[in-house]
Amino acid sequence: MAIKSNDRQWGSVARTFHWLMALLIVVNGGLGLYMTELKPSMDKISVYAIHKSIGLTVLALFVLRLSWRWFDPRPRDLPMPRWQKIAAHTAHGALYLLMLAMPLSGWLFNSAHGNPLQWFKLFNLPALVGKNKALADFLRDTHETLFWILVAVLVLHVGGALIHHYRERDNTLRRMLPFSRQLGTDVHPAESSSTK
Amino acid sequence: MKRILCSLLLLASIPAIAADYSVQPGSTIGFSGTFQGEAFTGQFKKFDATISYDPANLATSKLDVSVDISSIATGDSDRDNALPGGEFFSTAKFPKAHFISTAFRNDGNKVIADGTLTIKGVSKPVSLDVGFTPSGDGATLAVSTTLDRSDFNVGTGEYADTSTIGADVKVNAKLKLTAK
Repeated sequence: MAIKSNDRQWGSVARTFHWLMALLIVVNGGLGLYMTELKPSMDKISVYAIHKSIGLTVLALFVLRLSWRWFDPRPRDLPMPRWQKIAAHTAHGALYLLMLAMPLSGWLFNSAHGNPLQWFKLFNLPALVGKNKALADFLRDTHETLFWILVAVLVLHVGGALIHHYRERDNTLRRMLPFSRQLGTDVHPAESSSTK
Repeated sequence: MKRILCSLLLLASIPAIAADYSVQPGSTIGFSGTFQGEAFTGQFKKFDATISYDPANLATSKLDVSVDISSIATGDSDRDNALPGGEFFSTAKFPKAHFISTAFRNDGNKVIADGTLTIKGVSKPVSLDVGFTPSGDGATLAVSTTLDRSDFNVGTGEYADTSTIGADVKVNAKLKLTAK
């Protein structure tokens, strides 16, 4: 697999960013829902610390990913109705915005709440704003609202990919899957349907 | 004449007694710990102190401080709710911390107060750095030391982990004194 993307498929760097960040985002969403239910304890402190560390990792990866995307060409859209193209690109745009806004709103919330911010106990990051109860409450709500928007966009994004894969039987998902080979033009979609 | 001389001799043989001071409002006993790599500060709002001090006669100087632990305030409600609990200060069982000096001594140009500190029922020898600044009929006594919280079982069980809550706690007191 080529490092860079080309006209037909995503390169290894783009795929790695995609799946690594997908994993971190899903894990962090789960941790986020779980940790707020915990009673005050060291476990709660630790789970929050891991959630924040993963969030910061997503933010750092996002910056790298955007930089890479700057000069890595994306594959051409597969043939599909115009509304699907618009929906797909809108969802991608929203996901890029959310990959920035989720960690940033978390960092701002943490700052306004007056908590330290540490990356996996290795180093500390500065507060972005001063301690402020009203602002902290607002940012908490913002962080949570953005999460539910993210869930909605992910349903569209994942749903679209699965529909293209299982119903349209095109290469939309295959060209992003790790180690997956695309269906060539010489392969009839029906031939691969037996494996599904 | 003989009697007067006797009295004078008697007076001279008595060592000078250190002056007694009372602590004024505006005095503070605070501390600084670390949580997740960042310092946080706190204060004990309630305490009593009995102080006799004479920089020229450290032998008769005395410091006795009793701190009401439940008056702890660190500016974070989660933390302030946790600190009186059993894993930390266990204030229901051990409401007070207590320091009593056993000796004052000069160490270079510093003054050190050696004594016994009791927190959570654990008594340990502790040395305090003492700075005494006279002003008018009073003085300011600045006291500082660094404690290891694990010496006094402050933060036990899962909270003993010093990679999250640092072991060292700096204690700083600034006592405003007026002569009794």
